Amino acid sequence: MGILHFRQWCAAAVVALAACGSPESGQRSAVNGRPSTIDRPLVVIDDAGDTIRLARAAHRVVSLIPATTELLFAIGAGDAVVGRTVWCEYPAEALKVPAVGDGMLPNIEAVVARHPDLVILYLSSQNAQAARKLRELGIAALQVRTDRLADVPRVGRMLGRLTGHEPGADSMGRAFADSLSAATVSSQNHPLRAFVLVWADPPMTVGAGSYLSELVERAGGENVYADLPASSGQISVESAVERNPDIVLVLGKATPAFAKRPEWQAVPAIREHAFVFADGTEFGQPSPRAPSAIRFLTGQFRAHQAAGARP
Amino acid sequence: MIARRFVLLSIAALLVMLFGVAVGSVSLSPGELLAGLRGAGTTHGLILWHLRVPRVLLAFLVGGGLGVTGAALQALVRNPLADPYLLGLSGGAGLGAVAAIALNTGTAWAVPLAAFAGALGAVALVYRLAVVSGRRLDPRVLLLAGVVVGAFAGAIRSAIIVLSDAPRLRNAIVWLLGGLGSASWDSLLLLAAYSIIPLVVLWYVARQLDLLALGEETAAHLGADPERLKRIVYLAASLLTAASVATCGIIGFVGLVIPHAVRRAWTPLHRVLVPASFLAGGSFLVLADALARTVMRPLELPVGVVTALVGVPLFAVLLRRTLTP
Repeated sequence: MGILHFRQWCAAAVVALAACGSPESGQRSAVNGRPSTIDRPLVVIDDAGDTIRLARAAHRVVSLIPATTELLFAIGAGDAVVGRTVWCEYPAEALKVPAVGDGMLPNIEAVVARHPDLVILYLSSQNAQAARKLRELGIAALQVRTDRLADVPRVGRMLGRLTGHEPGADSMGRAFADSLSAATVSSQNHPLRAFVLVWADPPMTVGAGSYLSELVERAGGENVYADLPASSGQISVESAVERNPDIVLVLGKATPAFAKRPEWQAVPAIREHAFVFADGTEFGQPSPRAPSAIRFLTGQFRAHQAAGARP
Repeated sequence: MIARRFVLLSIAALLVMLFGVAVGSVSLSPGELLAGLRGAGTTHGLILWHLRVPRVLLAFLVGGGLGVTGAALQALVRNPLADPYLLGLSGGAGLGAVAAIALNTGTAWAVPLAAFAGALGAVALVYRLAVVSGRRLDPRVLLLAGVVVGAFAGAIRSAIIVLSDAPRLRNAIVWLLGGLGSASWDSLLLLAAYSIIPLVVLWYVARQLDLLALGEETAAHLGADPERLKRIVYLAASLLTAASVATCGIIGFVGLVIPHAVRRAWTPLHRVLVPASFLAGGSFLVLADALARTVMRPLELPVGVVTALVGVPLFAVLLRRTLTP
């Protein structure tokens, strides 16, 4: 018993010391009036494998991914955001930041006009060229993948380090992990079988690796296309007939037009209008709000199961 | 001789259609297949009668229509590179579809109807350009007008894509890539209603196309009316293509290569080429779609990818064989 106490005490002490570490270094640099990391350059290896090295914390950031815009605000670096995409709609403060384009084919001129010291791009071959060009202009460019739940704390920490908000990123990551495990429904005997229909013509769904599939599974559902070899792809209506989902999850807030198309009437869940409407940016991009998205889906799934159980 | 070949080609087409019904993203044993075909109410019956049979018939009609259109247009503009989408049609249809998706009207048939309207708009514009610049319909002007109108419509389409909701429109582009996934009895009937008259018309004028191939003056001496013929062929081919684009997007390669393949394997005479291109084009698209549905199960490939992947090597072999002495 005594030993246990001692261990607990030790653990607490280690945590306390670790917690003391960063504020202390912050204070020291504040006293010197120098950037916080003059002796420890800010280094991050991004998802392209490139090393991003900053002499001091970025304080003018252009975020070309809606998910990273949200993350920057979530870790307390919202003030540093000076550019965003037209899709960055969350949080509401982000809308006050000027948009520099749709983020898919970055308009370098518009980005540079914001005088950024860090630009965040989604990892893709098109963006790799843009990143190269930005680096030639002396602007740091970070390429990240934001596709899954695990990317939320991971990319959050990268952004925290580069913007000098590591404590904010750490606490966001911890809070996220806690509320995520609290929101996750333990596996059920008869999970609700969900068909995530992200687009109807041609029919497109998501596979097991995707963010939406992760949300569905944590909400106690089962993605009927979990066996898809890709994270998303085009499927045929007839395979949806055979997989016979209990509900169809669509992004939006109202019954989609395709539900009236004749070919879809072969799918019982669509014929019976068993839709779950996932409306909101937390469903479209990996987000610190994922736990609340999961809770919403859990509620919807339970309502459908209760309705289905009725004789 | 000709009759026997047609019988063989028709039997081959029937077998291909049966094959198309037998395979799909859901694999069925022969027993399940027969049971499904008999029981329309079961899950397999639903898949077969509600989804696969209309899809195979639609593929056949679209493929056949594209084959006939390609054969007729190649004769009209006297250019072996002519294909059904050359004359501004695909540009117009794409513009219509993208506009409908951008406006997000929320009705189930908005996209195909807008694509149809866009294609017909492009046809009207091309026709007007080609007829205005001279009293007669000059095939070269027609070709140029088609390319120009197509480029213009494509530019407007790109502008809409850049200026509005991109994720939604990314899917519009996928829609344009073509596919038979939205096949149903309704879309089949709709396509049939628009296709039958142009198909019959093109078959009817096929003999005159042989005269046209000799040159317009010679054709006129031999009793054909080249101006009238050209207009009829152009309008019928356009209507046929517009209807097929509206039901299943732009499916490349069939209309370009099937007529050439038939010409090389059989005959350049249009009275044979036109109906043979219908059967060959239909069978080819049914086969390509069957592959698109099954190769990557449960994922579906865009059918245009398969038509090119399968068709190009086949055509290359045919080209080599007929060229070598």
